[in-house]
Amino acid sequence: MGKSKVGYNDIEKNDIFDNEFMTHIDALYNFAYKLTHNEDEAKDLLQDTCMKAFRFINSFERGTNAKAWLFRILKNSFINDYRKKSKNPGMVDYQEVETYYSSDGGEIETQSTPDLRSETVKGMLGDEITNALNSMAVDFRTVIILCDLEGFKYDEMSKILDIPIGTVRSRLHRARNILKEKLAAYAASMGYK
Amino acid sequence: MGAFVRWIQKTMMSKKARCPKEEYWIELVRLMLDGQTTDEENAYVLKHVDGCYRCYDNFDLEKAIREALKNKLINIKVSDAFIAEINRKAKA
Repeated sequence: MGKSKVGYNDIEKNDIFDNEFMTHIDALYNFAYKLTHNEDEAKDLLQDTCMKAFRFINSFERGTNAKAWLFRILKNSFINDYRKKSKNPGMVDYQEVETYYSSDGGEIETQSTPDLRSETVKGMLGDEITNALNSMAVDFRTVIILCDLEGFKYDEMSKILDIPIGTVRSRLHRARNILKEKLAAYAASMGYK
Repeated sequence: MGAFVRWIQKTMMSKKARCPKEEYWIELVRLMLDGQTTDEENAYVLKHVDGCYRCYDNFDLEKAIREALKNKLINIKVSDAFIAEINRKAKA
């Protein structure tokens, strides 16, 4: 993704930016907002992403997966710029969480499924789902957002996140177990049956 | 599998009955729902899910969580004014 260099003229650059990049503007903003939990930071992150996309537009091969290319820029900007200076105490380093959940680094942990029913989830409000998702460590939250909300395939996520497909798979599996536990705990605390 | 057969299973099996390879099947179900499996693998997963009350419940739950994430979270639309500002700054 983005390895080949293409020389576009100004008209072509504007055309790509307007027609291939800007169509994903809402998805990019929502991704930024779900990462930062802050409207101003999300706007800054989106603006930064679009400026980088235009500046490095020659690295984008026309007709390829613009959405994945843009999401990768946004994710890198978030990690390099925003995450470092973030004051949000809820953000946890992935390595820390990975170590906690896996002592052998590669195997998927065996754990029992929390007692949660599909009818309970169907009855939950958007805010309740949002709170459960937002309370997850950012790297687990990210894979859920990319896969379930944005519909990226594992190979696309692997490129966006710069991790092997096997890691995408195991991280998603862990993320889903954590989300399920959080939803189950929330349902129990609210007296859902 | 018909509704009657499922009702029989539901009645006869304890809700807490565990599938001996539950975690294995959950992972396969997730791969299937993520579109990462072949038709042949899908048939293999569905055959088990159809005959295992616990895994059928898990399959239902996995689908419900995905639908909730997809449909219940608020998606914000970027304002035209902000899009214009981004355009101006990016192309400056």
